[in-house]
Amino acid sequence: MSEQTAAEADLSKARSERTGRTGRTGRLSRMFYRSEALRGLGLLSPALLFMLAAILVPFGILIVMSFWTASGFDFDTTWSLANYQGFFERPIYMALLKRSLWISGIATVATVVLCYPMAYYVAFHVHRNKMMWIVLITLPFWTSYLLRVFAWKVVLGYEGVINSALMAAGLIDAPLQFLLYSQSAVVITLTHAWAAFAILPIYVSLEKIDRSLLEAATDLGDGPVMRFLRVTLPLSLPGVTSASLLIFIPTTGDYITPALLGGPDAAMIGNLIQKLFGPINNWPMGAAVSIMLMLCIALISGVFILLTIFLRRRIS
Amino acid sequence: MDLLDHLGSLREGKLSRRAFSRSLLAAGVGVVSMPVARRRAFASSEDQATYFTWGGYDIPDLFVPYREKHGELPNFAVFGGSEEALTKMRGGFVVDVAHPCNQALPRWVATDLFQPIDTTRLSNWPDIMPELIDLPGNKGDGTDVWMAPFDWGQTSVTYRTDIVEVEGEESWDMLWDERYSGRLGSLAAGADAWWCGAIKAGVDFADIDTPEAFDRIAEVMRAQRPLIRTYTDDTTTLEQALASGEMVAAMTWNSSAVVLQSQDVPVKFAKPREGALTWVCGLMIHKEAPRIDAAYDVIDSLLSVDSGKFMISDYGYGHSNTKAFEAFDDATLEGLGLSTHPTEILEAGHFQVPQTQEWETRMNALFEEIKAGF
Repeated sequence: MSEQTAAEADLSKARSERTGRTGRTGRLSRMFYRSEALRGLGLLSPALLFMLAAILVPFGILIVMSFWTASGFDFDTTWSLANYQGFFERPIYMALLKRSLWISGIATVATVVLCYPMAYYVAFHVHRNKMMWIVLITLPFWTSYLLRVFAWKVVLGYEGVINSALMAAGLIDAPLQFLLYSQSAVVITLTHAWAAFAILPIYVSLEKIDRSLLEAATDLGDGPVMRFLRVTLPLSLPGVTSASLLIFIPTTGDYITPALLGGPDAAMIGNLIQKLFGPINNWPMGAAVSIMLMLCIALISGVFILLTIFLRRRIS
Repeated sequence: MDLLDHLGSLREGKLSRRAFSRSLLAAGVGVVSMPVARRRAFASSEDQATYFTWGGYDIPDLFVPYREKHGELPNFAVFGGSEEALTKMRGGFVVDVAHPCNQALPRWVATDLFQPIDTTRLSNWPDIMPELIDLPGNKGDGTDVWMAPFDWGQTSVTYRTDIVEVEGEESWDMLWDERYSGRLGSLAAGADAWWCGAIKAGVDFADIDTPEAFDRIAEVMRAQRPLIRTYTDDTTTLEQALASGEMVAAMTWNSSAVVLQSQDVPVKFAKPREGALTWVCGLMIHKEAPRIDAAYDVIDSLLSVDSGKFMISDYGYGHSNTKAFEAFDDATLEGLGLSTHPTEILEAGHFQVPQTQEWETRMNALFEEIKAGF
């Protein structure tokens, strides 16, 4: 032991005596209590372990697997870019990816545009029973996603609510075929199914707006429209951004809705991934397609976030 | 959550963000705990075997003997296609009994996920039709039985007799009839659709694995795709669409036609002049089946005469127990497209021949591309 470390040990011993704790445990516990970072980590560790076990490890496996190739029931574990090459060579992957981004992009825009007024109304015009409104908005989401999709099948179906009503009103002679098993059916269903994920974040950001700013705008001569465009909308942009991402990210990979309501022309990338892991039995290709999908979503989301930040800077 | 606080803020008509988050948290906890509570309510079913099967086989009528012995139904896990089931089991999903069909049998055995069946433990085994036991891949080394045959039947065209005008004989052409474009339906799994496409294309099942066969079948399937309203493995979807007139003809199994006829929907299960697709399905026991005794009871229950009668009368499927047929006269059976001699039916149609895993993968990949429009 060098002189210096011996001196340090003495010092530490003296400190331990003062705090009444000695040895390694004493040092550790002091270190733990003194370091905020460590305390933070201590609090985080269960969540961290969970993240590792439930997200990072499977994700790592997915990445590794995407560089393997399938051979029958087994995997050829030699590293290869064959799957990624296949992704760009066979047109089906790119086409389905583009279609998924298109469908979920439209669904995202539709949801945000339709839900903004609802959130606005609850935030600014409901003064009593706000809680009841929030519960009413979330109420349909207490039931399963699958049930909501099936409900739309009943609404849009050949003998469904819309067709029956139009027939009864004498507006059409035969049921409309294009309602169900089409891309529009998927967009309609996604728009409804994810509505709460748009309303709630927008509502929260609207609720946060300092009402005196609105008064100030009025005092300075802005009418309701200008006041909305110059104050309310910019200040609620973070809510709009998170709502858009909350809808865009999961709907791009959705496969239940297109499988049940989409018909042959609305199959999305999620359906193909499911088939690759199922009947096609090509897990490495499925992994590669999943990763391409994730990269694509990350890229678009990143651009979107940067754009929002840029917009906010410009405004403020 | 402080209820008084909350009521207060409600009365004043304002709700802080924190209170709002708390309410959401409460709602979240409620939703998350619901499935847990439900599972606890059914805790006793942990003693029962798990039967992994197609939709429609998860019904009490097929488990009368099992229920008498165990007091409850087995647990059901349902799949839409047998390849999906195999994937799930390869991924570690352990069940007691699974329900594949003959065309998949050798590949399922090759996965090493199953154990041979000790037929001496099945009271109904002596009544099982021997020709159904001797399928390719079963009794691999002459003694082992891997799959206990249970149901057999056909895949063919169910069509609305009041809408479809049949020109000449019934044929697979009905599912390629451009007059009914957008009103035809098909099963989505290649295990049915691809083979039916082969019959339509005139490919002999002995040559189905050749590149020429792939090309010819693909051409036929591509020609059909724009005419199809939807591909689905959910037979209820096809049945409802046929009942409402949304679809006028669809590729189905026997049961759809029988179910619709019992509801007075004017449909017929076609006897195509090119022949129908025929198959036998059965029961396999998982290698690590946790409730092996109950697993044998599931199989014995499905092979019983009572289950057989139900399968024949309500689903129109053949059953493997010879005694199940004794309750029906020949005319009834013929009306259902069945016979007490399964070989007659199986030989009259095109019987699926097991293929390699590579073939299966290639077929499924190509069929998915065609369905997606490529």
